[in-house]
Amino acid sequence: MILKPKVLVLKTDGTNCDEETAFAFNLAGGDVKIAHVNDLRNKKDSLRNYQILAIPGGFSYGDDVVSGKILAIELTSFFSEELRKFIERKDTLIIGICNGFQVLVRTGLLPFRNLGKMDATLTNNDSGHFECRWINLRIEKNSNCAFLKNLEGNFVSYQVAHGEGKFFADKENIRKIEKENLVTFRYVDQNGKPTQKYPENPNGAINAIAGICDPTGRILGLMPHPERFVRVEQHPNWRRPDAKKPQGLPIFQNMINYINKLK
Amino acid sequence: MMHTIRVLSKDSIFETSPKITTAKVYRVEGISGKQSKVLAKKLFCEKINQEYTLDKPIIRKASAVIEISYKPGVMNPEVASIIKSANDLNIYPTAADSSYEYGFYGKITKDKAYEIIKALGLFNKTVEYIVEIPPKTLLIKGALGKTTIVPIRKMGDEGLLSLSKDKLFLNLPEMKIIQKYFIKIKRDPKDIELETIAQTWSEHCAHKTFKAKLIVDGQYKKPLIERIKKEALKHKKNILSAFVDNSGVMNFYDKMAICGKVETHNSPSAIEPYGGAATGSGGVFRDILGTGRGAKTIASTDIFCFAKPDMNLSKLPVGCLPPKYLLKRVVDGVRDYGNRMGIPTNNGSVHFHDDFRAKPTIIVGAYGITPVKNSQKGEAKKGDIVVAIGGKTGRDGIHGATFSSAEMTDRTINVNSQAVQIGNAIEEKRMSDALIEASGENIIRAIQDCGAGGFSSAIGEMGEATGVSIALEKAPLKYQGLSPWEIWISESQERMVVAVSKENLSKFIEVCKKYNTETTVLGYFDASKKLKVYFKKQLICNLDMKFLHHGLPQRIMIARKSNKKKEISSKKLYSPKSKKEWIEIVKKVLSHENICSKEPIVRLYDHSVQGTNALQPFNGEKLDGPNDAVILRPILDKPYGMVISHGLNPILNRIDPYWGSIWAGAEAISNYVAVGGDYKNACLINNYIWPFPDEESLWSLDKSVDAVVNLMKVLKIPVISGKDSLSSTYKGKDGTVIKIPPVLCMSIFGKIKDVGKTCSADFKKSNSILILVGKMDYGNLGGSIYYDTQNIVGDNVPKINLKILPKTLRAIQNGIRRQKILSTHDVSEGGLITAIFEMCVGGNMGADIDIGKIKNTKDDYILFNETAGCFIVEVKNEDIAENLFKNIPYVILGTTQKGNSLYVRNKNRILFSVQVEELKKVWQEPMGKIFN
Repeated sequence: MILKPKVLVLKTDGTNCDEETAFAFNLAGGDVKIAHVNDLRNKKDSLRNYQILAIPGGFSYGDDVVSGKILAIELTSFFSEELRKFIERKDTLIIGICNGFQVLVRTGLLPFRNLGKMDATLTNNDSGHFECRWINLRIEKNSNCAFLKNLEGNFVSYQVAHGEGKFFADKENIRKIEKENLVTFRYVDQNGKPTQKYPENPNGAINAIAGICDPTGRILGLMPHPERFVRVEQHPNWRRPDAKKPQGLPIFQNMINYINKLK
Repeated sequence: MMHTIRVLSKDSIFETSPKITTAKVYRVEGISGKQSKVLAKKLFCEKINQEYTLDKPIIRKASAVIEISYKPGVMNPEVASIIKSANDLNIYPTAADSSYEYGFYGKITKDKAYEIIKALGLFNKTVEYIVEIPPKTLLIKGALGKTTIVPIRKMGDEGLLSLSKDKLFLNLPEMKIIQKYFIKIKRDPKDIELETIAQTWSEHCAHKTFKAKLIVDGQYKKPLIERIKKEALKHKKNILSAFVDNSGVMNFYDKMAICGKVETHNSPSAIEPYGGAATGSGGVFRDILGTGRGAKTIASTDIFCFAKPDMNLSKLPVGCLPPKYLLKRVVDGVRDYGNRMGIPTNNGSVHFHDDFRAKPTIIVGAYGITPVKNSQKGEAKKGDIVVAIGGKTGRDGIHGATFSSAEMTDRTINVNSQAVQIGNAIEEKRMSDALIEASGENIIRAIQDCGAGGFSSAIGEMGEATGVSIALEKAPLKYQGLSPWEIWISESQERMVVAVSKENLSKFIEVCKKYNTETTVLGYFDASKKLKVYFKKQLICNLDMKFLHHGLPQRIMIARKSNKKKEISSKKLYSPKSKKEWIEIVKKVLSHENICSKEPIVRLYDHSVQGTNALQPFNGEKLDGPNDAVILRPILDKPYGMVISHGLNPILNRIDPYWGSIWAGAEAISNYVAVGGDYKNACLINNYIWPFPDEESLWSLDKSVDAVVNLMKVLKIPVISGKDSLSSTYKGKDGTVIKIPPVLCMSIFGKIKDVGKTCSADFKKSNSILILVGKMDYGNLGGSIYYDTQNIVGDNVPKINLKILPKTLRAIQNGIRRQKILSTHDVSEGGLITAIFEMCVGGNMGADIDIGKIKNTKDDYILFNETAGCFIVEVKNEDIAENLFKNIPYVILGTTQKGNSLYVRNKNRILFSVQVEELKKVWQEPMGKIFN
């Protein structure tokens, strides 16, 4: 029997998308555990035991100061070494969704794997408020991401639910991100073109960036929630004649397949 | 040493006139200058888009700078995170705080700046203050308050009444019973004992009106609650627990149970809408958590009534907040608490009438799931440990408490003794995570929320059967200076009390520790049948449980129909005559505050967190068509559905409390059935938000309860939970009395086997057949939106035919289950035309309607009548219509149409035709203007 890839869904105070994220990985064929960051701090569990680390959505520590900050400081203060070892292994992937993306950016793991140094940020939506709505995305062609190959060029509909999702970096870093093909998802309009228009671009993100990966392509972060579309009836229009297949599930399946193929 | 770090974001300038910039201010005490720099760089400021200063101003060249901070003693939820993160960075502050600074550019005085801050709603003086002189310390000091003895035994009537007034809120006969008790036990009570009795006997906790014997128009009638319970328990096939726990529990599938609770938080929200609404949500979520031996909260509903947002503010009574501000801040409060807790808010409504100007009605519901084996209310056993869990105790919500001047420091003088709370959702989230895990491990014996009455009511109730002994000095406090009685009755948020056996105590504490939730052992349950509270070994409260819980005599209350003649406006209804007039009036109805799209509010709530949502609040081609109810799939890998909905109509209630209440119930059930809910497998929750029960208001309350009992009889389903809040009367100092419209909010929740066989309201196909199903009461338009657009109230509310209603509901259910119904929407406020319009929006198509087959009434009555319990249904062809609805009244109205036009005709006479887009614009505008 093939052992299922081991997935750690990391939670802390205020994490609230842990169960549906675990469910998505389960559907995709992962062996999933939800663990509290305190279990890692107390050495009851360790990143060593896993191939996939998922940091789910929510409001870690209330998103106090700025979103994801307090957890990012906790991770860089106590897990620098463990995280470094984890990403240096070739059989590992990391995904950060929504608040998880905010955490990854604030640890410096995204965009450039500079643990402890921020090169980009996710800041307040231009609208000034939290927004929960389904939006359209394009999965970028030729992105560096190691597990989106068969999906490149696809248009998908996911839900966003955030107040601090505007991707922002200085000009030089944006240029670098684009040049190194780190952009994986962009908000698009009805015609499939990247857009700065609200609400299609729900937060005013620069270059309509909704998700990015690191240069190795094994760390992915995105603001929209693929785990909220792993079954048909999670989409608002599944009763309409042109119902869509669950477009979030392939992300999780691809991650599991990536690990399985290494075996 | 205290250091102040100010952080400015590069994009923080509002292009308002005048220009305003905003900066965040962090004060951290007990750290060195070097450490403050570390915190600034690593925690507070991100140099990509921010800059900071240490101990000096950051807003430069502004003509005025105003700092607004929480008042000392009001819990700032951010502080705990700041201290945690500092500790993670190896820095250990003694205290911290955060606040905002606003800088104004251009020629502007400080007074003008202050006015702008107020106008923008950035300052609420109940919980915030303007920092003129920066605080020297953030530590709140105070000496321990004393316990005093009250010489009640010697008091005459006057003495008893003055003791009660402003403090205990009991009437003279009740005060005399207390006096008698202490004469009998031969001692005078301590303050904490009187407070405990007053809390337990308060209207809020004891529901004296609902339990009272009634004399209605001279006839004796059984107590309201007894009548509700008696009928409810006749329909108990799905009931697991009703009227005994913090929520009502019904059977689900696979040995699981679902539960529901609906609460109001009107008074706190009227004073501080953000904190009031947030803590209202927090409280009702804890009710679910405190159900059985711990249930998981899976959904939240929000239902509000306000004055119209554009009401002339000269109509606002003294001391009341403007309705637009209330609306925005209440929504913010529900948003921030629900979103942070990760509980989807996916069903709700907002109602507007200027008579809510004196006090809004804020209703928040919560729903949960738990294994059947944990669904019964737990009972503490002798020897079990009393564990307090969650937040610390402060002076929150204690009325009339003041620091005595001798104990004041320069800091305490600012402490607001009646602090309205802000709520800390993350505190509750971690407590909830811990309790769900503990519940799963089967180590919770009993659990109770600290709501009204705090420890006093939670512990007093849990220990009723056994007796309990408490060491109150162990309770963790937010700051020093509280008297024992204040600790005992404080209503600080995010706290619960758990009974745990001795063997499981260490395991329980370990689980809580994992989730960063504080636990404190306060005492134990004994066999004394007494409530004993010690403070540092001194016995300060020693009351017989029997007296405390059963000493309060039943009230006898009189209800009488008002003989005041109702004012009936002589204004005559004007019916539209031309195509232009028709379109104009349809637009007026669709842009009415009650009818207009609430999408901008819904988008602020996370309605899909937990991944369970199987029918979103809005869907359709452009995702902007509203639905009638929410469907959840609470167990992610099972097809089972939970359906939740509600109904209310305060204006109908006021005109006719009986038929208005029937309408509310019928509306709730129609919403529920319209999405595919099976009403036979549903339970009801009734909430009465009524004016103070004087004879006239008690009369209407009695009628409303009659209606609810009758609904249960007709539909054969039970009410399993409910609440009353009988304080919707405003009394101004100048003698003005405003009775807020009475609200019966009927909520409904239940189960279906398969979420796959459900329905949404958006038109699915062009050339489908449209049918009106159900018995309309065309002639009665009293209280309708159509009337309201012409400033008419009327006294003829629509009467729902209770014989036909169950048949209609069954036919709709059946059609959806057999998947013969493509879309359906119930007829509600705004009438038939509003329902069809909303279905057009979802389907992004038009319709061609002919009302010529409806006889003996008028065109405008047909389009705008609001009889609940009727449905607009889309089916493929007329044969299906005949097959589904042959035994009930139905009329074929027309067809859905490709394109965007809505045609309405009476046979060959076209009343009007209009573009759906044109109507949509006016329908979306009102809330868009406020929230976008």
